[in-house]
Amino acid sequence: MNFKKKEKVDKSLYPVLYVIKSLKEYHGTLVQGEVDSLKELSMVSKSFGNVLQESEKFKGTLENFEQTFSNIDSVSGQFASVKEDISQSVDKAQGEVEELKNSSILVESYFVEMQKTFQVFQESLHEIKGCMSKIVSIADQTNILSLNASIEAARAGEQGKGFSVVAGEVKSLSDEIKNLAAMVDSSILDVEHGADELNNSIHISHQALEESLSRVNETYETFESITKAAEGAGTVQSDISQVIDNSRVELQSVCSFFENLKDGYQEVIRHINTASKMGTTKSAMFEDIDNMLSQIPPVVEDYNQ
Amino acid sequence: MRQFFGMSQSGNLNEAVSGLTNPQLILLMSNSSQFEAHVKRLEELYPRVPSIGCIGMSYDTKVVEKGVGVIAFCDGVTAAANVLEEVSVMPVKYIERLERDVRDINSSNTNTVCIDFCAGNDACVLTTVYSVLKQRGISLVGGTGDGGKVSANGRVYKDAVAYALVKNNSGRVKAYKENIYHPMGRYRFIASRTDKANYILGELNGVPAKKVYQDILHITEQEIQTQTFKNPFGKINGDDICIISIQEVCGNALKCFRQVNDSDVLILLELGNYRQIVKRTIQMIRSDFPKISAVFSVNCLFRYLLFSENHYMEEYLREMSALGNHAGLVGYGEHYNNRFVNQSMTCVVFE
Repeated sequence: MNFKKKEKVDKSLYPVLYVIKSLKEYHGTLVQGEVDSLKELSMVSKSFGNVLQESEKFKGTLENFEQTFSNIDSVSGQFASVKEDISQSVDKAQGEVEELKNSSILVESYFVEMQKTFQVFQESLHEIKGCMSKIVSIADQTNILSLNASIEAARAGEQGKGFSVVAGEVKSLSDEIKNLAAMVDSSILDVEHGADELNNSIHISHQALEESLSRVNETYETFESITKAAEGAGTVQSDISQVIDNSRVELQSVCSFFENLKDGYQEVIRHINTASKMGTTKSAMFEDIDNMLSQIPPVVEDYNQ
Repeated sequence: MRQFFGMSQSGNLNEAVSGLTNPQLILLMSNSSQFEAHVKRLEELYPRVPSIGCIGMSYDTKVVEKGVGVIAFCDGVTAAANVLEEVSVMPVKYIERLERDVRDINSSNTNTVCIDFCAGNDACVLTTVYSVLKQRGISLVGGTGDGGKVSANGRVYKDAVAYALVKNNSGRVKAYKENIYHPMGRYRFIASRTDKANYILGELNGVPAKKVYQDILHITEQEIQTQTFKNPFGKINGDDICIISIQEVCGNALKCFRQVNDSDVLILLELGNYRQIVKRTIQMIRSDFPKISAVFSVNCLFRYLLFSENHYMEEYLREMSALGNHAGLVGYGEHYNNRFVNQSMTCVVFE
C-alpha cells in the first residue's frame, strides 16, 4: 500500500520537478542574457564616454575659435590705432603744408612787389638812358660849338689863341663827357642785361613758386585722400568687428547647442547608469530566484521519502 | 527596553549571566568546546525564555575571544526564537515556523527586527527568511557563527539558522550597515564562470579573476589572501555595495567568502578612513535616534583583525558604547536584510 502511494506521489510530483528543471534552464539562459546585456551596456557606456570626450574636445576647439576671434578683434583693433596715427600724422603734415602754402603765398606777394619795383627800376633806367642820350647830344652840340669856337678862334688869329685853347678844352671835356656817357651807356647796357636776366630769373622763380603752390594744393588734396583712406580703414575695422561679433553670436549658439547636447548626453548617461543599476538589482533577484528554485528538488525528494 | 551584556573570559556561564533577571530574549555566544554545555545550562537557568546561540566571539567594551558572552533583552520587548533546519539544501521546508512567529508577534516595520545566527548557505537562507520578513517590512541583522552549529531555545542544531524576532514595545528599531571601503578607480566587472556552491569567482569581464586582481594591484599570488583586507570586491546592488572577501586562490579563479553569481556586477574596493566612517555612522544613528536603549551589532572577523592590528578595536568599542548600551558578535559573515556581506558591520538600534 505504501509503495503504491509513493509511486502515485512520484508520478504526481514529476511534472513539478520537470517544471523546476525547465525553470532552472530558463533561469540560466536569462542569467546569460543578462551577462550579455550588461556587457553590451558596459560597451554602450564606454562608447558613450568616448562620444562625450570627443564632444568635449570639439567644444574645446570651438572655445579656441572664440580665442581666435578675440585675437582677430585685437589685431583689427590695431587698425584704429594705425588710423589714429595716420590721422595725427596727416593733420600735422597738413598743418605744415598749410604753413608752406601761406609762406609761399607771402613769397608770391613779395615777388609781385619785386616785379613792380623792378618795373620802376627799368623805367628809371630807361629815363637814365634818355638822359644819357641827351647828355651825349649836348656833348655833341658842345663839341660842334667848340669846333666852331676853334674855327672862330683861328680866324681871330693871335687874339683868338686863348679862345682856341678854351674851345679845345671844351671839346676835350665834351669828348670826355661823351666817353663817360658811352661808359655809362655800356654800364646801363650791362645793368639792362643783368636786369633782363634778373627779370627772367624772377619770372622763372615766380613760375616755380606757382608750380610749388599748385603742388602744395595737390599735396593737401592727397593728404585729404589719405585721411579719407584712413577713415576707410576704420570702417573696415568696424566691419571686421561687426563680422566677428556676428561670428561670436553664431559660435555662442553653436556652443549652446553643444551645451544642450551635453545635457542630452548627461541624460543618456543617467539612463545608462539607471539601466546599469537596474541590471545589478536584477542579478540580486536572479540570486534570490536561484536560491528559492534550488530548494524545490530537495523538498520534492524529501516529500517523496 | 534594556540590554544586558554579561561575559566570562574563562567560559563560566554562571559568571556571564550574573545579574541577569527576567530576560525576554537571550543571545548566547560561546566557544566551540563549551557550546553544547552552555546551551543546555542556559536553558536550565532560564527555561522557556526564547534564546538563540552560536559559536563566536562577543563584545561590549571588550572582546571575549574564547570564553562566553550573553546578551539579553529585558523589559519592554516581545520576542520569539526558532530555527530553520537543513539550510544547506532546503530551509524553505521550515518556513511556516517563521511565518507563524511573525504572525504571532504581530510586528510592524518600525518596531521589530529579526536577529539571526546562521550555520551556512547564508545567501540561500537570507533569501528564504527575508521572503517572509519583507511582507511586513521587518529588517534583519545577523551573522554567521563558527563550527556549523547554532542553538535555539536550548537545543543545538547543525546545518540550521537560528532566528529571533524582537519587537520593541516602547519605540522604534532600525537596522544599519557600515562599509569602510570605497570603490577603487573606475573598475567594473561582470562576473562569469562562477560556481556559487563553492563560492568560486571564475572570470571578470571574460578574463581569469586571479589575473585581473593581480594585474590591477601588482601583487603576487601569495599576497592575494591578505590583500583582501585592503582590497575586497564589492557587489553592486542598485545603490548598495555588498563586500565580498577573497578566501584563497583556486587555480586561475578566486574562492570567496560569499557566493558570486554569473551576471553579478563587481567593483574593486579599497580601504577608506575607517575612523571617520565609524564617526559618520555614529552621527547618523544619533540623528535618527535622540534616545537609544540598546545597540546590537555584528562585526566581521576581518574588521576585528584589521582594527586590532591597527590598535583601534578598543577605541572603536568605546565609541560605539557612547551611543548607549552596545554589544555584539564577531561574525564570519554579516547579514543585512536579504544581503549576505563580508568585512562589514551590521547593527540594529533600539529606541
